[in-house]
Amino acid sequence: MVTRMGMPPVPNREDINATWKYLEDGITRIMTDLEQGMDMQMYMGVYTAVHNFCTSQKAVGLSGPSMTTSHRGAHLLGEDLYNHLIQYLQKHLAALVQSSKSHTDEALLAYYIREWNRYTVAAKYIHHLFQYLNRHWVKREIDEGKKNIYDVYTLHLVQWRKVLFEQVSEKVMDAVLKLVEKQRSGETIEYGQIKQVVDSFVSLGLDEADPSKSTLDVYRFHFERPFLAATKEFYQAESKQFVAENSVVEYMKKAEMRLAEEEERVNMYLHGDIAIPLKKCCNQALIADHSALLREEFQVLLDNDREEDMARMYSLLSRIPDGLDPLRTRFETHVRKAGLAAVQKVQSSEGDKLEPKVYVDALLEIHTQYQGLVKRAFNDEPEFTRSLDNACREFVNRNEVCKSGSNKSPELLAKYTDVLLRKSTTSIEEADLERTLSQIMTVFKYIEDKDVFQKFYSRMLARRLVHSNSSSDDAETSMISKLKEACGFEYTNKLQRMFQDMQISKDLNKEFRDHLESVGNAKAVDSTFSILGTGFWPLTPPSTHFDPPPEIAAEIERFVRFYKHKHDGRKLTWLWHLCKGEIKAGYCKNSKTPYTFQVSIYQMSILLLFNENDTYSYDDISSATQLSSEVLDQALAVILKAKVLLMDGGDKPGPGKTFRLNYDFKSKKIRVNLNLGGVKEAKQEEVETNKTIEEDRKLVLQSAIVRIMKARKKMKHTQLVSETINQIRSRFVPKVGDIKKCIEILLDKEYLERLDDDELGYLA
Amino acid sequence: MAEAKPASQKIWLISNDNATMEVDRVVVERSMLLKNMLEDLSHTDITQDNPIPIPNVNEAVLRKVVEWCEHHRNDPVTTPDDESDARKKTTDIEEWDQKFMQVDQEMLFEIILASNFLDIKPLLDVGCKTVANMIKGKSPEEIRKTFNITNDFSAEEEEQIRRENEWAEDR
Repeated sequence: MVTRMGMPPVPNREDINATWKYLEDGITRIMTDLEQGMDMQMYMGVYTAVHNFCTSQKAVGLSGPSMTTSHRGAHLLGEDLYNHLIQYLQKHLAALVQSSKSHTDEALLAYYIREWNRYTVAAKYIHHLFQYLNRHWVKREIDEGKKNIYDVYTLHLVQWRKVLFEQVSEKVMDAVLKLVEKQRSGETIEYGQIKQVVDSFVSLGLDEADPSKSTLDVYRFHFERPFLAATKEFYQAESKQFVAENSVVEYMKKAEMRLAEEEERVNMYLHGDIAIPLKKCCNQALIADHSALLREEFQVLLDNDREEDMARMYSLLSRIPDGLDPLRTRFETHVRKAGLAAVQKVQSSEGDKLEPKVYVDALLEIHTQYQGLVKRAFNDEPEFTRSLDNACREFVNRNEVCKSGSNKSPELLAKYTDVLLRKSTTSIEEADLERTLSQIMTVFKYIEDKDVFQKFYSRMLARRLVHSNSSSDDAETSMISKLKEACGFEYTNKLQRMFQDMQISKDLNKEFRDHLESVGNAKAVDSTFSILGTGFWPLTPPSTHFDPPPEIAAEIERFVRFYKHKHDGRKLTWLWHLCKGEIKAGYCKNSKTPYTFQVSIYQMSILLLFNENDTYSYDDISSATQLSSEVLDQALAVILKAKVLLMDGGDKPGPGKTFRLNYDFKSKKIRVNLNLGGVKEAKQEEVETNKTIEEDRKLVLQSAIVRIMKARKKMKHTQLVSETINQIRSRFVPKVGDIKKCIEILLDKEYLERLDDDELGYLA
Repeated sequence: MAEAKPASQKIWLISNDNATMEVDRVVVERSMLLKNMLEDLSHTDITQDNPIPIPNVNEAVLRKVVEWCEHHRNDPVTTPDDESDARKKTTDIEEWDQKFMQVDQEMLFEIILASNFLDIKPLLDVGCKTVANMIKGKSPEEIRKTFNITNDFSAEEEEQIRRENEWAEDR
């Protein structure tokens, strides 16, 4: 029928039956036998036949003219062709449905895919060949808003869905699910087929409202829905059986593997749209359904430090909503118990002599251990870190050791810091020191009574500075800046000023030296002075009278004159109890090199008396030094104990006793330290420090209340209390009772007034 | 398409009066019909001895159409979406196209029919605009004269049409 190298024979353009007969041959060739190829004559022939039919003038009569059609101008022919095409497709597809019935399972799958591919390729050709119909008749119909008219390609899809898909899709899906189940059971499958089925189902998603758009509705209903249902059923059954036969840890491994497999499955042959619902479905069947069991196991894993398994459990439970909350609660309780147990252990083995280092190390060990766990097993998740922090705060502030006094934790921490920063024989490397200080800060962050730490720290810093036995300025600065970073400028203000005072004093001493030289004054005593700002140092003037010995007094007077000249109007108070010095003893018979005594200034004034006489009575000494008996006795006691002076009769110094210089003094060391503060002194300081804390807190509370009221002018009582707690919390945890007391005090002092309706007002 | 498609690839066309002509593939592809066919029948060898048959177009018209396609070979391909109102409404025609369309009426209509058949939208537009410009500003009688149309309306019919189209009259 087709002649090569020439024009294709074209049927009578006005005869629909002849035209259709001609077209049908071409379409059938394309539908069933495209492998044979198609030549240009046929291609052109079919296109031209469609064109000619649509442009034929007399064909108008075939579709039946009427007044309405003639009114809309040129009549576009094509409806007949379109309807013939529909009939053809329906017949073709019905035949495919019929022959599909002889296939099942994988063979059906292969059949569906083969026919689908053949059909869609053909559809593309026919679409091109009927392009003239598309461009004119179809376009016109769609523009006029006619429903259910599609371009020729879409028409093919619509017919496929209507005729074939409706009848076959369920069976195809059954085959798909059987294949997937095979794969889930470990068999190798030809998954490319499933991918093609997915693509086919997706292609059939036509938006009824707007055929130019596609939707996933068909795919979701016919593929996703049954797929998810089958998945759920499979994993519910599998997990139920697995859990019954294996340990929880084994189950977690299995679940993890299955979840990874399903994710991979999406990549391999499913549509991306299913990823999230599939994940959800698997999470439900594999994790959520067994979450109670998993959580039960968590305690066992914690008790046995099964880090890897905990990490696994974390990653599983993190997949389901609210899956981790119960873990966090258990984790927090566990850490708290571990911390409390660790403290109890050191407490019972060390008792009252608990070393600050041992205590802090015990706290740190627990923190380090569980911080590591959070990092390695729980993805360093902020929520878990918070649970860790809560637990640490609990066991740092409320443990066995704190029972004796709630200020014990900050006190011991400050003491440990003092041990580290004080010069000692076993000094540690700088890097180690820095690291240990950082660890101190870790514990410090959990301390609730930060004001207590501040008190102890400043006292001990003062002692280190005054006695110049700080291990290094760098370390001190580093620690202060760490505290500043944690608590702000105000917290470390005084500490910093103390530090500065020492620097200023150093310069001042140099100036004083230069001054003495310039006026030609002979150096009588080698002296250094520290000028300490009254408000910044936690120091109080001595409780006793004291007359310094004349040798010292002269030097002091020179310094005072120099200082007053420099800073007129400043008041100097001498902290005698902190003064110390060294004297050389040239009188001893047993040693060629003279001994050097390190003494307090009180002891110095006693010993200097013996330059004049070898024997003094207690009263002589007392009246020469003007010291109170308590202080005098303490100073003498050490001297007597070292046998620098000898006392006649009795073992305690007191009125009526006499003291004589011991010319036979002997010591293994050339330098003898007589300036030993008693243990009693240290204890007393501790008690004093603790006592001042309560007083200071009242003041801090009152000033906070006044600050708040000054800003707000009026406030409800309860509101004021909670606002105060908010402001103070970074320093210590105030008791509501204390705040109420402070409000009463301020009402009495008329800073505040009571207004109606439980309100308080600020009185300027 | 998988195979390379050099701009210089040659294609042969044969008109319905058996004239063969050689055209660059890019030029041929101005026709959506031929473009689709070249893709669909990509395995077919097109040679001088096996040219593409163009059943509805004769040599003179085909040469004219090819001339237009040659000139517009590098125009951007318009998609249905950017058939903006502006391009549709205006009757402006670019200079080269105006000159190109200076042909006798019969040829003009042949070009329009050929471009419709071959699916060359821009050429179809130019052709229709040219016809529109011929009608513009003319009375029915002048239009009849221009296109050699005999008036087969009765007087009543004419009156009815005038009434129906009153809204379009210039006033």
